Order: sequence, then structure tokens, then C-alpha cells
Amino acid sequence: MKKAILTILVLLPFVAQLALLPFVNKIGPIIFGLPFFHFWLFLWIVLTPLCTYGIYQLQKSKGGLE
Amino acid sequence: MQGNLTALSITIFIILTVVLIGFLSGRDKKVRSSVEEWSVGGRRFGGLLVWFLVGADLYTAYTFLGLTSTAYTGGSLAFFAIPYSVLAFFISYFFLPKLWKVANHHKLTTLADYARERFDSKLLSILIAIVGVLMLIPYICLQLSGIQDTLRVAGTGFINVKFVVITSFLLVALYTFFSGIKGPTYTAIIKDVLVWAIMLFMVVTLPMIHFGGWTPMMDRIVKDAPQLLTIPTDGPKGIPWFITASFVSALALFMWAHAATGVFTAKSADSLRKNAIFLPLYNIVLILVIFLGFIAFLVLPKGTDPRFALLSLIQSSYGGVAQGLAYSTIALASLIPCSIMAIGASNLFANNIYRDWINPKVKPSRLTMITRGMVFVVIGLALLFGLVFPSALVSLQLLGVSGMVQIFPAIVISLFWMNQTREATIIGLLVGLAVTFTVYGTGNSYGIYEGFWGLAANFLAVVVLNPLFVKKAKSSTNPVKEFLFNKKSKEAPLARKGA
Repeated sequence: MKKAILTILVLLPFVAQLALLPFVNKIGPIIFGLPFFHFWLFLWIVLTPLCTYGIYQLQKSKGGLE
Repeated sequence: MQGNLTALSITIFIILTVVLIGFLSGRDKKVRSSVEEWSVGGRRFGGLLVWFLVGADLYTAYTFLGLTSTAYTGGSLAFFAIPYSVLAFFISYFFLPKLWKVANHHKLTTLADYARERFDSKLLSILIAIVGVLMLIPYICLQLSGIQDTLRVAGTGFINVKFVVITSFLLVALYTFFSGIKGPTYTAIIKDVLVWAIMLFMVVTLPMIHFGGWTPMMDRIVKDAPQLLTIPTDGPKGIPWFITASFVSALALFMWAHAATGVFTAKSADSLRKNAIFLPLYNIVLILVIFLGFIAFLVLPKGTDPRFALLSLIQSSYGGVAQGLAYSTIALASLIPCSIMAIGASNLFANNIYRDWINPKVKPSRLTMITRGMVFVVIGLALLFGLVFPSALVSLQLLGVSGMVQIFPAIVISLFWMNQTREATIIGLLVGLAVTFTVYGTGNSYGIYEGFWGLAANFLAVVVLNPLFVKKAKSSTNPVKEFLFNKKSKEAPLARKGA
């Protein structure tokens, strides 16, 4: 279970910021004053650290970090 | 074009203050007592200092001027910098702590040092050092043209711009020689505070001045220039280019000698992990700054030199004081990274070209002196190329990232793959460079980033050729390999996640 979460957290930032780009490459809807494409990039500036933090906590709880 | 005396005085005053702080941070003679002290601060920097140092690397004058100018001419392609740097820090989480541990344990100060010890190969370390120095000098030149453009806008009619550029760079070389990495670290804090404050100020006020606010600005762009807001789906620079450029640049970021220098100053692997978590947040300002390029597109007269997009926008929008603060921020964003880059390049040259190749028996005290002295050579070369033959370096500047990323297998893959061989790695590096240069030279990139072709060829060469040499690699070992792979039982779960 933990391993699955870990894998997802590792892959998510790549999928969102590279693989999904062709699908978010559009202007509307405008969210928080940003066109959708830029909003999406902005969102992952904030979400990527959360993924990294999740990985950090998971590895720490497994005692994988010294 | 006429400068503004208030703006110019503020700029010069702030530059001189920062240079003074650069000198003061080297009061303690210990900072230049050894290569390790001078170049990586004795590896004693805590999380926050590393954050500023690595942030200082990334947020250069070229970032602001270059990205706004790309936005001005190429629209949203400029935003490739966002996934690039966010992913660069994310990826770094998986290998920097490990690399740091090896470097700390074996007292290594450059990436080429690591490759030499990991593969017992001076040839590999010399190759990595040559690539590193060759790609870094044009990058320093870019910083130089950044400050030169800024001073040209601020001071035309008052000062001799070339003279001031040369003087300020010599001052930076001098304080770097004197204070080592401590100089740019403390000044980077001032620079980053100014960057955040000034960039936020511009992001808030420029839309207000020209459109009455952010939302009316966005409405205008959507109505008058919607082509700026999306990426072309194909063509030489479309979506495939955007994706591959982001990805390859992300892999390349910590291959740069100056970024590695910042990393090796850390006092623990954990401070690097925490930095990897938080550094992407740096981009919150950057993404908004890129929009300033769109404002420039809408309000500047057609035919403005794209290189001056941001600077002209500042000049036509603000009074003397705000102009001065903005110019000095950009000037500092040019000078301080330059200092870190010079340390990175000098370190590579002295350790991996001079000591590994020319004079292996050099005494430590002499090596320290040579490393420090190289700062003048590196900055001197950058000045020479930047001011005398500015066009000669254009290709190297464009190829910097694509060239640097070719050492990724030698530096990062080798942390996780025990049986990676020296021979395959060296051939891979050379193949990668050759393919990158060929693709660039012939222009046949098929809408994909040049470095991506090079890196693909590089990986392929390593994987295909490795079995030919693996027998020897399996039977031999060395302290770095022992350190990386021998406590396998304990480290394996973490290592595998990273690979």
C-alpha cells in the first residue's frame, strides 16, 4: 500500500507537468486571473512540494533515511 | 536613449554596498585556507543558506531578461522554465542527498572529482571538467550582457557603460578571490530579498499602470493577443519541444558546476532534502514575472529590441527611484550568480584539469592559490568574449543545457547502477555531445529539444556498450563503489525508489 502511494507520488509531478501538457494547453477557463494553462503550471508549483513532502514522510516512517 | 541619474545613482550605490559586504564576509582568514573552505564553505551551510545559494544560481539576470524577452517574441513558450525548475528540484530530491554523502565522505568538491573516484578515470574527470568550463563561460557572458544592458538603459549619457561593466566584474572577481563562497552566499540573501520585493512590486504595479489591474490586463491579452497564451501544437517549437526542453533542462540543472558548488556547501543530506521540497516555491514569482513580457508586447512601440523588453518597460513606466531599485536588482542578479559560477568553473579547472592532468603532485596550499587565482582567468575570459566577440558564443549559450546534461549518466545514474562501466560512460558522453552538436548544426531537430536527442543517444550507447566491459568492472572495486553499494541491505529500499 505504502509502496503504491510512493510510486504515485513519484510519478505525479512528471505526468502533470509533462505528459498532460497537450491537454491543458488552452486559455479558458480563466482561474484566479490566470489562463488555464498558466493556472495549471502555477498549481503544480504548489502541489509538487506536497508530493516531495509526502515522499519524505513516507521514507522517514519506513526508516529509510538516516 | 537617455538614462536617469537618480536610477543610476541608486544602482551604483547598491552594487558598491553589496561588493563591500562581499569583502566583509571574507574577514576571517579561514575562508581561504583550503579549497574545501574557499569553494564549498567547509560544508557547514544550513538549510536556509543553501536555499539562498541555490536560489541565487537559478534566479539570474538572464532569467528575468531572457524569459521576458522570450515571452515578448515567443509567447507562452517562455513558461517552459516553470516545469523545468519545479521538476529539477523534485528530481534532485532523489539523487542529491546520495551524491552529497559520497562527496562529503571522500572530501570531493566537484562533480568531476566524483566521476574520477567512482570510475577510477582521470580521462572522465577531465572530460567532465572541460564540458563544464566550456559551457559555463558563455553562461557567465550572458550575465555580463545582462548587467551591460541594464547599465546601458540606466546610465547612457552619464557613464561609460563598458568601463563600469569591467570595473564591477573585476570587483566581483576580487571579492570572490578574497572571500570564496562566503561572498556570494551573504550577498545572495540581499539579492533574493530584493528580487522578491521588486518582482512582486512590478507584477502588481505594472498591470495597474498600463491596464488598471491584473484582470483587465488578462482580458486585453485574451482579446488582442491570444496567440501568446498557448503553445503551438507543432512546428519547430511546439508542444513536443516544450515538454522535452523542460525535461532535459530539469535533468541538467544540477549538472552545472555552479549548482553543484551550492549543493556541496550543505552541512547534511537532510538539509538538501528539505531544500528539494521547498525550492519549487521560488517559481511563484517567476511565473508572474514572465507575464511582464506580455505587457511589454502590448504597450511598447513595435520594433523594440526584444532583448530590452523588460528594461524598456521599466524605463517607460516608473520614476527614478523605482527604476533604480529595479535596475539594481537585475544588476545584482547578474553579479552574484557570476561569482558562484566563477567559483564552480575555477574549481573544475584547478582540480580536474590542472591537478588531474597537468601537475598531479601539486601541494594543497598551491592548489588553493591556483583555484582562487582562476577566478580572474574565468571572469577575464567571460569579459573578453562578452565584450569583444559577443557573437562567437551564441551557439555555446544555446547549447549549454544540452551539453551539460550529457554528464547525467556519469554523475547520477552511476550512483544507482553498480555495474556501470567507465568505458561505456565515456563513450556515451562523447556520443551524446556529438549527436547534440550535429542536431544543432544541421537544424534537423524534428520539433524536439536538441539535448533530448543527445541524451537519448548517450543512454543508448551506455546501455548497449556496457555489457562489453562489465566483466572488468565487476571484478574491480574502489572506495566510492564500496561506499555506495556495500551497505546495500540498509540503503537499498531508498536507493531503488530514487532510480
